Amino acid sequence: MSKKSRRRAPSPSGGAQTTPPEVQTPTPPVVQPEPVPEPVAPPRVLIDVTPEPVSEAALRNLMRDWRRGRATRHLWDMIQDGYVAVLATVMIGAMLVSMVIRAQGAVSACTSASCQSSRTLLPWASLCGVLALTLMVSRIFGPVVASAAEGFWLMEAPIKRARILWGRLVSVLVGAIVIAAVFGGLIAALSGSSWAGVVNWAVAAGLGAGGLTALAAEEQTADRTWVTRTLQWLVGLVGLTALLTVVAVASGWLADAGWFAASENRFDLIVSVAGAVLLIGAGMLAIARLDEIRRARLVSGGSLVAGMQGAMYAMDMSLMRDILVERDALARGHVRPTKGHGTGLAALVYRDAQRIVRFPKQLILLLLSIVVPYAVGALGLGVLSPVISGLVLLTAIVPLLGMMRVLSRTGGLARSFPFTTAQIRTAAMVVPAIAALLWVVAVTPAFAGLGTGTAHLSWADASIHAGVTGLAGLLGAVRWVTAKPPDYNKPMMQMGGFGAMPPGMIGNLIKGIDIVALVSLPLLFGWSYWISVIIAGISFFVLRGSMNMTDMAAAQEEQKRQLEAAKAEASAGKKKIPPPRR
Amino acid sequence: MAKQRTPVLKVTKLSKAYGSHAIVSDFNLEVWAGDAIALTGRNGAGKSTILRCLVGADKADSGTIEICGNRLRESDPAVRRDLATVIDDLDFFPDLSVVEHLDLLARAHGLPDAEEAVDDVLHEVQLVAQSGQLPGTLSSGQRRRLALATAFVRPRKLLILDEPEQRLDVEGVEWLAQRLKAEREAGLAIVMASHEPRLVEVVATRTIRVGA
Repeated sequence: MSKKSRRRAPSPSGGAQTTPPEVQTPTPPVVQPEPVPEPVAPPRVLIDVTPEPVSEAALRNLMRDWRRGRATRHLWDMIQDGYVAVLATVMIGAMLVSMVIRAQGAVSACTSASCQSSRTLLPWASLCGVLALTLMVSRIFGPVVASAAEGFWLMEAPIKRARILWGRLVSVLVGAIVIAAVFGGLIAALSGSSWAGVVNWAVAAGLGAGGLTALAAEEQTADRTWVTRTLQWLVGLVGLTALLTVVAVASGWLADAGWFAASENRFDLIVSVAGAVLLIGAGMLAIARLDEIRRARLVSGGSLVAGMQGAMYAMDMSLMRDILVERDALARGHVRPTKGHGTGLAALVYRDAQRIVRFPKQLILLLLSIVVPYAVGALGLGVLSPVISGLVLLTAIVPLLGMMRVLSRTGGLARSFPFTTAQIRTAAMVVPAIAALLWVVAVTPAFAGLGTGTAHLSWADASIHAGVTGLAGLLGAVRWVTAKPPDYNKPMMQMGGFGAMPPGMIGNLIKGIDIVALVSLPLLFGWSYWISVIIAGISFFVLRGSMNMTDMAAAQEEQKRQLEAAKAEASAGKKKIPPPRR
Repeated sequence: MAKQRTPVLKVTKLSKAYGSHAIVSDFNLEVWAGDAIALTGRNGAGKSTILRCLVGADKADSGTIEICGNRLRESDPAVRRDLATVIDDLDFFPDLSVVEHLDLLARAHGLPDAEEAVDDVLHEVQLVAQSGQLPGTLSSGQRRRLALATAFVRPRKLLILDEPEQRLDVEGVEWLAQRLKAEREAGLAIVMASHEPRLVEVVATRTIRVGA
C-alpha cells in the first residue's frame, strides 16, 4: 500500500480524531489477509508418468520454425537494404583481386635466390599459420557449441543431443574448409606461386583445416585438450622454421630452402591427404560421440560466441580481446604472488614487467614479427616494409599493453592511483616501448637490406626507418587499446544502406591502423622522415592523454569562474584593483 | 572533534538530468572530517548518480564539487590522492593476483610499509587464502571484499561508497559497519549510499533521504 493510500485509509477504530492532524502519528491500518482460494484439483506430481518418445528432428524443426517465424527481415531484405555494403564489398573484392594479380605478376618476375626461396617457403609458413589458428580457434570455442538457452532448455531434456548437434559440426567443418582455402590460396598467390600452385595450396589449407577441426571436435567429445595444444605448437614451430629459413636464404646464411624446397611438391599433397583422412575419420568419430560432450563445455563455447558477437556488433575488437584474456586468466585461476618493487609510478612499471614475465606467451607474437621485415624485403617489397611491418608490430604490441587497457577501459581503477591520466599512460607505455625498441634493433638490418638480398638504404637511414616503423607500431597499438568504444547514448547517425549507427563505430574499425598509416606513409612516399617523426610526436602527445578535452574544458570553466568572481568582487568595491604598471 | 576550516567535501547546487528527466536538482552538501553521510532512498532515486558525480565518473550538468578545497577534476592527482571510492565501475587486472593488486595500490600511493599494510588488510577482508587467485576466479562476495580492500589499503581523506554491503554475508556487513565506524571516528569523512539499516545505524552521523 502506498503512503497516500495509507493516509486515506479509515481509522480501524472508526472513532473521532483526538489529536491535531499536524502532530498525529500515522496509525498503521489493520490489513486482513486475503483468504487463499481452495485448489480446484490437487497438483499433478509427475513421478510415475512414462514419457512419450521425443523426436529430435521435430524439436529441431520447431526451433527453426520459431526462429524463422519471428525474424523481422529475411536475408534478401537485408541484402536489398544493405546495397551500399554489398556494393562496397564487391568493389573492395575487385580491388583485392586486382592487387593480387598485380602482386603475383611482380613477385613472380623476381628471380633472385631470396625471391625464389620466399615463393617456396611463404605458402608453407602461411599454411602452418592457418592450421595453427584453426586448432586454436577450435579449442577455444568448442568447436561444437550450444547457446546458454539451448543448454538449459534443450540439452537437459531426455533426447539424443547428437541428433541436434551434428548439423552444427558439419557447418563448422564446411566453414573451416572454405575460409582456410581462401586464405591459403590468397597467400600463395601473393607470394608469386603459379596458378596450379595456388589451387594446390588452397586445397591443402582447406582440407588441413577441416581435418584439424574434426580432430578438435573428436577431442571435445573426450574432454581433452592436450592433443590439440601439442599439435598447435608443433604446426606453429614448422611455420616459424619456414619463415626463419626465408630470412636465412635471403641473407645468404643458407644456399637454398633445403628440405623445404626438396619436399615442396609433396607437402601440400601430404597435408591434403592427411586432412582428408582426418576429416572423414575424426569427423565420423566425433559425430558418433557427440552425445558425450558435457553440457558445460557446449554452453561455455556458446557464451563465448555470444560475447564475441556482442563485441563484433559494436565492432569493438578490444572488447573481443578482453573476453579472451579474461577467459585465459580464468583457466589459469591461480598464480604464485610476487613481491612488488619501488613506489609511485615505478611500482606500476615494475608490475607491468612482472606481468609479462608471468605470461611470456605474450612475447611470442613480438618475436615472430621480427621476421616480417626480412620476409617482406626478401619478397622484393622492401618499400612497403614500414607499413606492413608497422601493422604487424601493432598486433604484436597489443598483448603487452594489458595494463594500459585495464586502466583505460573504465575509470574506476585509474581513479585509485594518485597520478594524472598522462602519467599513468606514460608509465604503462614504458615496458612495451622497451620491447618495441628491441624490435627496432633486431629489424634494422632488414631495412638496411641485410637478409633481404637487396640493399636499398644506408645503415643510418635504415635505423631511422626501423625506428619510425617501431614508433608507428607502438603508437598504433596504444591507440587501439585506448580508443573509446562506440557511444550508444549519443544520437545515432544515418548511414545510408547501413541504417543508423552510433558515432565512432566505423572509426573503431580502423583504430590503430590510422596511426600506423599516418606515421609510416611519409616513408612510403619518399618524404623526409622528419614528417613521420613530427606526426609520431603529436600522436604520442594526444594518445598519452595530455589533451583530455574534458579536463581542458573543466580547467577553462574554473578559470572563467575565478575571473567572474574576481570581477564581481571588484565591482562590489570590496577589493581595490591596482592600476597596471607601465 | 575540532572541525577544520575547509570541508573535506563541498557540493553546491549539483544538478544532473538524463535527457529531460531531472535526477538530481540543486543538491547541496558539506562533509567535514569525522562526518559520515548516508544517502538512502528508493531504487532510482538518484543516490548512485550523486555518488558518480561526486567521484567524477559522471559529469554534473551544473553545480560545483570541491574536495579538500580543490575543485573536482577526476584526473587531478591531488583529488585522486584524497578520494577513495568503491562504486560500480571498479575494474581489476585479469593477470594480477589479489595480493598483487593491493601491493600495487599501496606502493603507488607511496606507503612506506606497503607489505605490512597489505597483510593487515588481507586478513581483515578474509582473503588470505585467495591471495594468489586471479580476480576472475573470485566469487562475487570475494570481489566485493577485494574492492573494499582497495579503498582501505591506501591513504585517504574521503571515502565514497555505493551500497558497500552488496553481496556481503551477515558477518561481512557487521565487520564493514564496525570498520567504517572506526574510520569515521579516526577522522575520515564518509559518504555512502546504502539500503542496509544496520550499516546506516552504526556508521552514519547524518542521513539524507534522496528523492523524498
